[in-house]
Amino acid sequence: MKQRYTITAIAENKPGVLYRIADLLLRRKINIESLTVSEIEHKGMSRFTIVIDAERDLVEKVGKQLYRIIEMTKVIESTDDELVAREVALIKVTAKTKEAREEVEQLVRLSTGRIIHVDKSYLVVEITGNESEIDKMSELLQLFGIKEIVRSGRIAVFK
Amino acid sequence: MPIYDALYDYMNDGRIKHVLVRHEQGAGHAAEGYGRMTGDPGVCMVTSGPGATNLVTAIADAMMDSVPMVCISGQVDSSVIGTDAFQEADVIGITAPVTKWNYQVTKAHEIPEVMAKAFHIARTGRPGPVLVDITKDAQFEMMEFSYPDNMTLQSYQPTTVPHRRQIETAARHLDNAERPLILVGQGVQIAKAQKELQSFLEKGGFPAAFTLHGLSALHSGHPLHVGFLGMHGNYAPNKLSNKADVVLAIGMRFDDRVTGRLSDYLNDAIIIHIDIDPAELNKNVPADVPIVADAKIALQELTKSIKKNTHSDWLGKFEELYESEKQKVIRNDTHPKTGEIKMAEVVTLISEMTKGEAVVVSDVGQHQMITARYYRFAKPNSWISSGGMGTMGFGLPAAVGAKFARPEQEVISISGDGGIQMNIQEFTTLAQEQLPVKVIILNNGFLGMVRQWQQLFFQKRYSMVHIQSPDFVVVANGCGLESSRVAERRDLKRELEKMLRHKGPYVLEIKVEQEENVFPMIPTGSSVDEIRLS
Repeated sequence: MKQRYTITAIAENKPGVLYRIADLLLRRKINIESLTVSEIEHKGMSRFTIVIDAERDLVEKVGKQLYRIIEMTKVIESTDDELVAREVALIKVTAKTKEAREEVEQLVRLSTGRIIHVDKSYLVVEITGNESEIDKMSELLQLFGIKEIVRSGRIAVFK
Repeated sequence: MPIYDALYDYMNDGRIKHVLVRHEQGAGHAAEGYGRMTGDPGVCMVTSGPGATNLVTAIADAMMDSVPMVCISGQVDSSVIGTDAFQEADVIGITAPVTKWNYQVTKAHEIPEVMAKAFHIARTGRPGPVLVDITKDAQFEMMEFSYPDNMTLQSYQPTTVPHRRQIETAARHLDNAERPLILVGQGVQIAKAQKELQSFLEKGGFPAAFTLHGLSALHSGHPLHVGFLGMHGNYAPNKLSNKADVVLAIGMRFDDRVTGRLSDYLNDAIIIHIDIDPAELNKNVPADVPIVADAKIALQELTKSIKKNTHSDWLGKFEELYESEKQKVIRNDTHPKTGEIKMAEVVTLISEMTKGEAVVVSDVGQHQMITARYYRFAKPNSWISSGGMGTMGFGLPAAVGAKFARPEQEVISISGDGGIQMNIQEFTTLAQEQLPVKVIILNNGFLGMVRQWQQLFFQKRYSMVHIQSPDFVVVANGCGLESSRVAERRDLKRELEKMLRHKGPYVLEIKVEQEENVFPMIPTGSSVDEIRLS
């Protein structure tokens, strides 16, 4: 049965590692739902957080094959309940009138979000949360009209 | 150009032996032949663009068969990379999926460390091909040279020593086994663990069956050698795999050609799987006792931990089935009285005449399976073939590399009429180097393996498998090689003797039975115990 997995891969921060990771997932026909990469506490090391939907057996095999990448030092496959995960979204909401702006502001105040930019015709809302919180917020803001939405992809630490 | 200019100074001093091949694919397979024979990476060097892309098949072949190889490709000037410059190809991108590691050098000062890393990665752990792409400007730059003494990589440290408790568990299973079976793969050859394998087998009295690449890890005549596994392997080990109660697989990866239908493979056995690549464990066949280790160390540890034992009744079962294979297949294949020459009788004769002591290099197809089945290997690691990729055209150039690695040993390249035509240009390389490789072409006028499948599974609808060949003797002569042809059984032995006596390279074309089939056979999708004798 397909399930959501997060693969956390720690590798040397060298060119070509992402290419090889992506190639391996391509060979197994696994679609990447989200991907974030950044340097971690050890200098010169990168952390890849890759969200995929796949079957457990396949995820385990792919996890081991990722170790074949010379620069790879650690690969961990986790289900959602094993992680504390967050994502950031920036949502550009249409708000041409005072009423609209106030309504958006109110909505944002009740959530974990905040307004980070105000313009004549729109507001930019930043929201941090898990995927469903962001989904919920964008659903609500949809009522005002969303001009643009961008999500960072998941970052996660282990419980 | 700058690298070749530098090589000019090394041309005749013996420190670097450069072989000018006729096609980059030939360079790659020759490097593989050298790598397989020595365990040290064979090196091949190609120009940018088409030179590098021509090498890709050989790189993929080496990746599949875990062959140590270092490829060096030229690249356009770093200032024009990405601009579709003349003879620019994204070699790093193209080769990433088929290399163990690759890297593009754009500054000369990177070269020593990168080369040291390349050789270290290619030959250690599970060996494989590495490619270093060097831009033209880096080739022109000057630098102070110092080669790193030893190489340790933070992120790459293959596990070689097995987990003690896992070894103990494996040993207990083996001690308690009534019908143990050892599956031996190329990992044993790579680890140079042939002696350790023999001691292990003899102490435990275990029958051992071999994958294509594992074959020469034990003398073919050893009483515990129960044959060749897989689609065209021997009857007994395939038929009895599913009867074993404990299976130890070492340095092999349960390829689909070995396992047949996976859902009916080793279901009742306790499986111990030893491999240096953790990704191979539980990949195709789940292991009850997975062990990550170098085959040599694992075999030493296991030999110490097991009890001395014999399994004569169980071994008797293999002998019985071997007897039926002999009656139904082997006897007629190797010693036919009438009809045209058979491939198996050629291989049997060569095997007898060389006392099994030659290095045998095959191409891909029917003759490959026949050679694997009938050559009686007497020397460790003396058999090279393209396994995982099944690359036609592999044999001749691989034999070139093998001969440079084993100049004292007879090297015999056996190809079919189809495969030899795929890299036949290397005849001239043999001539230029006066390299005494003996090339046998088993000519049946067909792409035989495909024809066999069309006969057995497609109602004999022979689709595009009849292949015309040039006059091989004329081609060989034209390239500067001695050559002859034989079509009659009564001349066969004499011609083979003539070939073996000849001091230089030699090409012998042998006309063989056109529609000979290789049996036994496990049809695709069948279980190993559904192996057919006809």
